Amino acid sequence: MRDAGHDSSQDAKESIRIVEEADIITARQRVRATAQELGFDSFAASAIITITSELARNIWVYAGRGEVVVERIDKGARKGIGLQFIDQGPGIVDLPKVLKGGLSRGGGLGLGLSGSKRLADEFDIDTQPGKGTHISVVKWKAR
Amino acid sequence: MRRDEIDQYMDILNFDEYELRSRLEFFEITDDDFRCLAGLRDFASKYTEEIVEKLYELILGHPETRTFFPDAETVERVKRKQTEYFMKLFRENIDLDYIRDRLRIGFVHEKIGMPPKWYLGAYRRYLQLITDRLIEEYRDRPDLAEQYVRSIEKIIFFEMAVSIDTYIAAHVETVTRHKEAIRELSTPVIKVHDRVLLLPVIGTVDTHRAQQIMETVLLEIVEEQAKVMIIDIAGVAVVDTRVADHLIRTTKAIRFLGAEAILTGISPNVARTVVQLGVDIGEIQTTNRLADGIELALHEIGKAITPKNQEKHLEKARQQERPGEKR
Ligand SMILES: Nc1ncnc2c1ncn2[C@@H]1O[C@H](COP(=O)(O)OP(=O)(O)OP(=O)(O)O)[C@@H](O)[C@H]1O
Ligand SMILES: [Mg+2]
Repeated sequence: MRDAGHDSSQDAKESIRIVEEADIITARQRVRATAQELGFDSFAASAIITITSELARNIWVYAGRGEVVVERIDKGARKGIGLQFIDQGPGIVDLPKVLKGGLSRGGGLGLGLSGSKRLADEFDIDTQPGKGTHISVVKWKAR
Repeated sequence: MRRDEIDQYMDILNFDEYELRSRLEFFEITDDDFRCLAGLRDFASKYTEEIVEKLYELILGHPETRTFFPDAETVERVKRKQTEYFMKLFRENIDLDYIRDRLRIGFVHEKIGMPPKWYLGAYRRYLQLITDRLIEEYRDRPDLAEQYVRSIEKIIFFEMAVSIDTYIAAHVETVTRHKEAIRELSTPVIKVHDRVLLLPVIGTVDTHRAQQIMETVLLEIVEEQAKVMIIDIAGVAVVDTRVADHLIRTTKAIRFLGAEAILTGISPNVARTVVQLGVDIGEIQTTNRLADGIELALHEIGKAITPKNQEKHLEKARQQERPGEKR
């Protein structure tokens, strides 16, 4: 429960389960709505939506299922969107190489992960073979 | 409902001898019940018409259900059918042929857009009407009346289950068909000019959609003997690596067929995002505005748009095309 008198939007968190392809679109729409609410400029919005698309798709393609947590960060002057992409899939093998880009096991371009890192302001990845992957991303609103 | 449609729904519902027996068992319908029901036939033919009249007082008295019956003729026809329908409840057995006959009800209700709530509500009234008359008819034998009411209840619930299942199956089918129709509508290839085609892509490009775009584009190029295919992505919500990958593949395939691909409607945001992703779009011709893409396409087939104030433009074009003058 939130304390009365606090900014109610401060810790707004929402989780979207990724089970089928259509869930990627749901996640994208939530992020788009949050970006709009926070007044993101169109490039930052496009960046964070694209990141959502990439990483949610990776969950669906490589882990089968997982979760996207959308967090609206609204700390006075600092506004942004925090995203977490969580799955219990096979984990990312050879992470350093994957982050360089161009390496794909799924027949794609192999640019999703490295590109998302470039599009994000903060990018943290924790992955363990056989255990799963947890990626945290933050995109700040330009001041 | 056509024969093949009935077969189709029997299939979807998995209705075979086994399913039938399993349902009868779960609804606890026994031979005793069938004996009761068959024995009530005379009673039923005595009262059913009157019951249907009463039932339609409810249906026609409600503003929302009334709208399903446009005129008196329809009402009369439906009442007759309804009487036949109720009479068939009083039977000595249920077999697959009977189920095939009953599938129609859920199916038809779905087709005319009659939601199950009205169907269930009307059935509630029927149950009340028939129970009242049974109790009255057998007031000297309340034990018998009770037994009859149980049997009627069972068969009515059994029927409702079949109807609702068919209704749901028909609804799923309708929704799937609509989705298909929308998808088809969403890949409309437009002929801009002889041998120049345009495909505006709108909305979300998921796996299915991407495949469909590829297929449509290639088919149309062959069919129209097109030289240029313009793909306008101004209406695409998100261009991520997947979408970019599909577009690149599609343009490669187009080239393989001997045609040219032009990608239009690329907003500054999309351009920036795609570049940051690290996507190399190679040699695909791109323009921001669709109009420029069309102009480029016409140029490609040796035609040009000549505006009213031709002179200036023609002169400009000539200058641009002057051989040897590179910039
Ligand atoms: N959540 C995940 N779980 C397991 N492996 C993953 C996950 N995400 C990415 N990978 C691995 O990392 C590789 C690179 O991912 P990345 O998204 O960069 O490219 P891609 O998905 O192959 O192609 P695309 O450019 O279309 O996204 C994948 O091929 C896959 O092997
Ligand atoms: Mg990917």
